[in-house]
This record gives sequence, structure tokens and C-alpha cells, in this order.
Amino acid sequence: MQSIATDPLTTGQTAVRVTNLAKAYGDHVVLRDVSLEVAPGTVTALIGPSGAGKSTLLRCMNLLERPDRGQIEICSHRIDASKAISAKALAPLRRSAGMVFQHFNLFPHMTVLRNISLPQQRILGRSREEADTKSMELLARMGLADKAKQYPSRCSGGQQQRIAIARALALGPEVMLFDEPTSALDPEVGVEVLEVMKELAADGMTMIVVTHEMGFAENVSDTLVVMADGGIIEQGDPQRIMRDPQHERTRRFLRAVLER
Amino acid sequence: MNTIFQDILDYGPALLGGLRISLALTGLSLLFGTILALVFALGITSRNKAFRWTSTFFVEIGRGAPALVLLQLMYYGLPNADITLSSFTSATLALTWTASAYMAEYIRGGLAAVPGGEIEGAQALGMSQQDTLRYVTIPQGIRIALPALMGFAVLLFQATSLAYSVAVPELMSQAYSAGSSSFNYLSLFIIAGAIYAAISIPATWLSVGVEKHLAKHL
Amino acid sequence: MELLKAIALGLPMTLLVTAVALGIGSIVALPLLAGLRSGKTAVRFLTRAIIDLLRGIPPVVWLFLLFYGISAGSFRLSAFGAGVIGLGVVAGAYLTEIFRGALGGIKAGQWEASEALGLDRFTMWSKVIGPQGLRVAIPGFTTYAIGLLKDSSIVSTIGVAEIVYLTQQSARTSGQGITVYFIAAAVYIMLSMPIGMLSRNLDIKMRKAVAR
Ligand SMILES: Nc1ncnc2c1ncn2[C@@H]1O[C@H](COP(=O)(O)OP(=O)(O)OP(=O)(O)O)[C@@H](O)[C@H]1O
Ligand SMILES: [Mg+2]
Repeated sequence: MQSIATDPLTTGQTAVRVTNLAKAYGDHVVLRDVSLEVAPGTVTALIGPSGAGKSTLLRCMNLLERPDRGQIEICSHRIDASKAISAKALAPLRRSAGMVFQHFNLFPHMTVLRNISLPQQRILGRSREEADTKSMELLARMGLADKAKQYPSRCSGGQQQRIAIARALALGPEVMLFDEPTSALDPEVGVEVLEVMKELAADGMTMIVVTHEMGFAENVSDTLVVMADGGIIEQGDPQRIMRDPQHERTRRFLRAVLER
Repeated sequence: MNTIFQDILDYGPALLGGLRISLALTGLSLLFGTILALVFALGITSRNKAFRWTSTFFVEIGRGAPALVLLQLMYYGLPNADITLSSFTSATLALTWTASAYMAEYIRGGLAAVPGGEIEGAQALGMSQQDTLRYVTIPQGIRIALPALMGFAVLLFQATSLAYSVAVPELMSQAYSAGSSSFNYLSLFIIAGAIYAAISIPATWLSVGVEKHLAKHL
Repeated sequence: MELLKAIALGLPMTLLVTAVALGIGSIVALPLLAGLRSGKTAVRFLTRAIIDLLRGIPPVVWLFLLFYGISAGSFRLSAFGAGVIGLGVVAGAYLTEIFRGALGGIKAGQWEASEALGLDRFTMWSKVIGPQGLRVAIPGFTTYAIGLLKDSSIVSTIGVAEIVYLTQQSARTSGQGITVYFIAAAVYIMLSMPIGMLSRNLDIKMRKAVAR
């Protein structure tokens, strides 16, 4: 199988660097000076209890959420949150970070093919033919070529999520951000999506994945990051953390998750 | 009953001629109204003050004043400012105003109801604000507003009957003049009513059907 | 100022026509609502046909039909009578839909609980379903009432001396058509505001009463 991912970054050793990121909703502090580095071609799993700030961190990385302070650097595109952010600086950052949501967020009024092709035409300036060719290639890889002319509402959740992944990949991102991509799916359907993600990882895509799938976190990720109360409390080798968590909060969280 | 059939034979062509004008009035004010409505819908939520105020001005008057007032304003009022329009033109202008104001509200509601996730999806892909609006928010918002817009189109068709008061020779005024020459208003208004109903009722069913269809597929 | 006075003279008539038509409409809506909820298919079908017909024909046609079309011997409806009856029955059809929608918004559990408790139909409607349905219906009812306030202007076409009728007169006599029609528009807009406010207050009160 040909590599889906674009070449890992050759310059520098970090694909993503977040420095002292802070975010509050009114008085409610959601991220307290979070710093994180992700090496190119690695998979980072982000776990932690509900409300820990995992989604917020991920959404701040491509500025769907505006952080109050801190720096974000994705593949040499750098943004300082305490300064004004121009649309011009935002575009390349978002282009290099693909995002996959819990609820897919496909465009319901467009066919599957248009969902994947339109962003390529508008953002990369590809012609419709070029874009459609690329889209069909990705759909075929996802095993969904026959769905091209359908509307998303006619596809199962697992299929919709794979379409959403294809839509993000079509723009050639250097990093993929996943926010609980399988949480809205039945377990047997979630497997289809996890398989696609595993292949993507094997191809060397840099990935940050917020997940409750402990199997994925333990076996697929290279780094495990545990968040609680708006901060990172522990990070490192997944197997080691699972076996021997250092932090009391991690222990409690793992116990609660594994009991389910 | 016999008089009704006789009246249909005698005045049918005149009434149908009137209907054609009613439909033309509906079609034109829907066409111009939709375009303006989209502009106003974006206008009332715009950050540009001048744009917001003018949009709000037209929408508030268009919705707040009876269609009859706007019709007469255009036909009896404007000549005082040395603007004299034909009755058909003034009726088209007035009904366009009313239509654009109501439809602007429906469209604004539709735009606001577009799920945030879809807009975020577009943003996360890196689509510009204009592109997000053009390819995601507006088509989706109009789709959501469509049943209400179709329902309104039926009301607008009915409202063209008010253009009778500014001398547009549409269905209602044809019925009235036929009635005054046949001395049987009852039968002519029954025929006119039946014509209005024959268009309005199926059109309403259609809008309900579209609503159900869209509810299933979104 | 003179112009405003001339127009304002029509205000009581506009309000009267609106209120009477709304009253007629509310009364007409009840049997129609019952008809729509009837167990007999034929009754439901007939009711639906009546509602569709009432709504499918423009109010102006109903008014003309009643005013010019109905006469028995020397009897004719007055312009006011034809106006409020015409607007009233059409309102009845629209209000039926609003009430029906409100009843649909009441959770199935409320009907089931009433039945399980063995409440008689009167208690169920007056204490359980009615108050909840009324609250849900208020926004739709108010919107319709504001719409009717504007539609009441149609009675000017058969000669009832309300706002638009007097506006038209002073437009003709004063030669200041634009001004008078804008004044009339402003009067309607200002009239709609308190009705909207009243409904919001009522809504808050009812919400409290129901929430208890
Ligand atoms: N738009 C918002 N306004 C106010 N508070 C918010 C907003 N979004 C998130 N929060 C709060 O921020 C905190 C972190 O939310 P976040 O969604 O990042 O948590 P999470 O770790 O992703 O949790 P979960 O596992 O439930 O998805 C929560 O307490 C949440 O209530
Ligand atoms: Mg989350």
C-alpha cells in the first residue's frame, strides 16, 4: 500500500510544539499553561477524565478555540496566541493540521465525493477533475468507492467517519488531530475506523488522538499523555504508564476506565 | 348552481387572464424578494453599521406594516414625490418589500440553525470565512428555511389579491368587475375563491411534503 | 400632527376588529380542533377539508363574498359584520393548527399519567393538558394575533373606517401620501410591540404556574 501520509517533516525534530497554552471560559480555567511536544511520525494518545480539557487542547491547536496565551507551532507554522492572529497566518496552520471530530461534521447537503473534493478545490486550488481523482483514490483506500455519489445521511456512522478522515487527508496534512473519533460509534463499527487509523499510523502520519479506547492508546500510540484539571499530569511510554502509573489521578482514572 | 356554470363560461377567460397577472406578481416579487432577503439576512447580523441599519429598517417596516399600507404607499403615496409608477410596478415593489422582509427572517433563522459542527468542520479544513458561508452555511441554511419559505410563497400568492386595491387587473379585480356586470357577486367570488384554493391548497401540501422529506434526510 | 390625529381616529376600530376576529377565531377553533382529533376518519377528513379551504382562499375574497355576495331579501351583512366574521373564521383555521401543534408538544407521558391516575376527561383537559397546551400555544397565538392586527387593514376595502381607511382618505386630501403611509406603518409597528411584550410577560407567569 502506497503511503497516504505526506513525507514526515525533515526539518527539526518536532511536528507539533505547544508552549504554555492557557485558556479560560470566564472564571473557569480549562487549560493551565500546557506544554507538549510531538515528534514527527509518532502517535500521541491523549487520555483523561471528562472535563480535563482534552478537546479544548486539541481545538486550540488549530485555533477552532482561541487560546488566551501561549504558542502553537505545527510544522514550522507558528502562532502566538497573545497577539492578533491574521487569517493569512491561520490558513497554512489549519492546512497542515487535519481534524477529525466525534460527530464527523460532514456537509449533509453534498454528496460524499463533493464533501472531499470541494475543500481541495477551494483551499488547494485543484481543478474539479484533479480533486475528484484524489477523492476517489482515498475513498477506494477506505473501501468506500461505491459511496461516492451518496449523501452522508445514507452512510453508517463508521463509514461517515472514514469519509471525514478521507476529507481531511485529501488536503495533505502533516499532522492529524482526532477528537474521540469512535465515541459516537457502536464498538463493532468503531473497529473499522480504528483500522484505518492504524494504517495511517503505520504509514508514518503524525497523529494526536483524544480517545477512550485504551487498547488503541496502549498498542498503537507511541506516547501516552494523561490530562486532568486542565493540565498534563503524566506522559511517556504507554505500556509503562498503563502498568505503573506514577500519579494518583492517573491510577484512579485507569481503574475507572478498565473496570468498565 | 346554474349561474355558476354560466358565469364560468362567460367570465372564465377574463378570470384566467387575471390569474396570470396574480401569478406574475407572485413570481416577480418572490424572485426579487429572495435576492433581497438574502442580502437583508446577512445585513441584520452584519458588523457593518450602515449595512445593519438599512437592512433592519427595511425588514422592520416590511414585516411590521400591513402589505396593504405598502401597496398604497407605492401607488398613492409616491406620486406626491413625483414618482408615478404603473399599478403593476408599484404592486411588485410593495410585495417585494413585504416578501423580502419576511423571507429575510426565515433565512436568518435557517442560517442560525445550521449545526455548529458543520461550520467547524469547514473551518478546521481551513476554508475561508467567505467559502464557509458560500458552500456550507448558506446552502444548508436555505435548505432548513425552505419549508417556511414555501409556506410563505403561498401566503404571498394570496396577498396578491390585495393588489386589487391599487387597480392591478389581477384575479380579484376581474372577479369584482365581472360581478358588477353580472349582478351576481356571490357566484363570481365563489369561482375566484375556488381558483385561489386550487393553487394554494396543493402548494401547501407540497411545502409540507418538502418539510417531511427534508426532516428525514438531514 | 394633524395627519397623525386623522389616522389615530381609526385606531379603536383596528383594535376592535382585531379583538373580535380573534375571539371568533378562538371559538371557531375549538370544534375544528375536536374534529381533527375525532376517532371517525370521515369527521377528520371533513375538518381537514374545511381548514384547508378556509386557509386556501385569501381573506379579501372571504370578505367580499360575505359583504357583496350574501343577501337574503333586504338583509345584508354590515361591513363590520362581514369583516369580523370573514377574518374570524379564517383565524379559526389558523388557530386550530396552532393549538394542535401545542397539544402535540405535550409529552405522551402526561396523557398516559392522567389516564393511569383515572382522571376524568374534564379534569384532564382543565388541569393537566389545557394549562400546559395553552402555555406552549402562547408564542404561536401572539404571532398570529400580531399578523391579524395587520390583516385587519383588509376591512378597509369594504369600507370599515379603521387606520388604513382613514390613511387613504387623508392621503387623498392632504397630498402628503408618503408621510401619511409612513405614519400608518409606524402606528402598526408600535401596536405590535406591546402585544409581543404582553405575551412574554404572560409566558413567564404561565411558566411559573406550570413549573410548580
Ligand atoms: N464553550 C465553552 N464554554 C464554557 N465552558 C466550556 C466550553 N467548552 C468547554 N468548556 C469547559 O471546559 C472544560 C474542559 O472541556 P473539554 O471539552 O476540553 O473536556 P474533555 O477533556 O474533552 O472532556 P470529555 O472527555 O468529556 O470530552 C469542561 O469543564 C467544560 O465544561
Ligand atoms: Mg472532549
